[in-house]
Amino acid sequence: MLMNLVKAEFRKTTTTGLWWGLMIPTVLLALGWALGTGAIGKSVMDVVNGADAEELTQLLGIDSSQWQVSVFGMARSINIATVFPMIFGGLAISNEINRRTITTTFLTAPNRVGALSAKLIVYIAWGAIYGIAIVAAVSIGIAFTSDSAALPDPAGWIAMAAVGVLSSILMTMLGVGVGALMTSPIGTTIVLLLYMLILENGIQLVLAAQDLVPVIGFLPNGSVNGLTGSVAATIFLSTAGVVPDELVEVIRGIAGALGAFDWWLSGLIFLVWTAVFFLGGWAATQRKDIT
Amino acid sequence: MHDGSGRIVVQNLTKQFGPVTAVQNLSFTVEPGSVTGFLGPNGAGKTTTLRMLLGLVTPTAGIGLINGQPFGNLGNPGRVVGAVLEAQGFHPKRSARNHLRVYAAAIGVPDQAADHVLELVGLGQAAHRKAGAFSLGMKQRLALATALLGDPQVLVLDEPANGLDPEGIAWLRTFLQSYARQGRTVLISSHLLAEVEQTVDQVVIVSRGQTMYYGSLDQLRGSQRSRVLVQPSDASALVTALQADGVTGIEQVPDGRLAISGIDAKQVADSALKAGVSIYGIQEERVDLEQLFFQLTNGQYTGAGPNPNPYGAPNPYAGPPNQSGYYAPPTPSQQFPSQQFPSQQFPAQQYPPQGYPPAQYPPQDYQQQQQQTPPPGYQQPGQGGYGGGV
Repeated sequence: MLMNLVKAEFRKTTTTGLWWGLMIPTVLLALGWALGTGAIGKSVMDVVNGADAEELTQLLGIDSSQWQVSVFGMARSINIATVFPMIFGGLAISNEINRRTITTTFLTAPNRVGALSAKLIVYIAWGAIYGIAIVAAVSIGIAFTSDSAALPDPAGWIAMAAVGVLSSILMTMLGVGVGALMTSPIGTTIVLLLYMLILENGIQLVLAAQDLVPVIGFLPNGSVNGLTGSVAATIFLSTAGVVPDELVEVIRGIAGALGAFDWWLSGLIFLVWTAVFFLGGWAATQRKDIT
Repeated sequence: MHDGSGRIVVQNLTKQFGPVTAVQNLSFTVEPGSVTGFLGPNGAGKTTTLRMLLGLVTPTAGIGLINGQPFGNLGNPGRVVGAVLEAQGFHPKRSARNHLRVYAAAIGVPDQAADHVLELVGLGQAAHRKAGAFSLGMKQRLALATALLGDPQVLVLDEPANGLDPEGIAWLRTFLQSYARQGRTVLISSHLLAEVEQTVDQVVIVSRGQTMYYGSLDQLRGSQRSRVLVQPSDASALVTALQADGVTGIEQVPDGRLAISGIDAKQVADSALKAGVSIYGIQEERVDLEQLFFQLTNGQYTGAGPNPNPYGAPNPYAGPPNQSGYYAPPTPSQQFPSQQFPSQQFPAQQYPPQGYPPAQYPPQDYQQQQQQTPPPGYQQPGQGGYGGGV
């Protein structure tokens, strides 16, 4: 019975243009950011590896020629591109309520738990599809503009790809939850974008200025950034040879993981945020009078 | 999981939306094999009742059952009950056929069912058009197609005639009747009796969230009686004469005239002549179904004074019934204080004051007047493009 509902939910997503309407900017943004960050990384490394800086790097006792700086760009690009699957998720329930198709959805499902479970499964799948597209676009972009020495090894790439897909799935589910709570497609989109792109960055600046950096790792964007950023920093540090302790925080900051915890802890913290909103949205939809 | 009877049972359903009581202790049963009209003015709680029955709205109290089970226990509800609740439940960018394929998948019927129901409701040509471009009538047809996807035993339609052209209404009437004749259950709501009068066999009439009548339409029709309004020179002499002739249905109406039911105007005049009473004015009055409906749904009885039965229709409080139709018990009058409904019952101009010179009596009969001066809230059949009614 659940498979019928999953099939129905999947058809809902494929019979309107929303999925590709959001997929195009997702891929373009991921590709663009990867090209840009790859180019920045390359010019930074050109300076670092140049004759002028050689003295400094030797003084610090580091060998910069094997630095896989591209992982930072990958982490940043993945993080920015996942706002689109988040919006896609945000419209999952809010659009149904707004278009009143939720009535027929509930009339054709054995119960609301079934209907919402089917949505959960389908949007996890869509989060993964978006995640794969993002990772692919980011990988292509980075490969174009980075030196081959700056690219991660296969194990590192797989790790980046895995956390990229995971963060895309979690971002999608966060969107589903917020959309179900807000029930307005436009409101959901604005709130999600405003918070993730502007508001929390402001909060992070304030926290950093107040010496409260560790708090950042508990915030939604801070923790989802930490998921990809911590992995990027770990990959970088594992191959960078000797890195002075003072530089580690700087590197984590570059990766977008400032104040964030280890990747798995960041992932868990963001999972809690996702679960809070998703379950809250589920509870609201479960009890809602469809009038 | 369900008993397969096709019976709809609504038991003591109540719904509060904050301070507003949308539905109050509503009970009725809908049997299979007939089309049942669910009638009441706008805001009477019809839509809320149907949505509670279909599990979309949680009742404050009471229960709605389909096939002996609440909606949530039906298993695969799309195979048991189909519903047309509004003509707006479509994604404007999704084609009609894709809309149906989504819900065909949910119900678990093959995709061909989508094409089948599209043909059935006459949308075969529009299958690939986006629902957002549909007219209201086409949306109604698509909503009906969606309801029919699972070939359900029970069909529930909320104001399905809205937006349909006269041809569509005629088609829907035939369709629903043949659906019911297959032994299935059809419940159709409307705020206009005229709209469904030709379609339904049974009626449930609600007003202000309460059941006012439920039973067969024929029964209701049978209760329409005519009466004679007469202004005699000597009322008590005429009453005595009529009583001597065995006439019992005599009442005094507020304007002082006598209302006599059970005999026609000619017999009244003959009795008056025998008794030597002059007749200053006499008219025959018929109460039609629409008036009866209007009367039942006006909430007026709750504030009724000494004469709650002006039209000679069965007194709704006359208590249950030596007939199969059922009239609701009185509402406690404090809920709807009588001053809230002052003159709806007898718009003054319809009943000239006592002593009104007979010569100036309006020549039209009562019904015509009624139509010329609809009381507040009355909606003429045919307004808003509803055509001839279902």
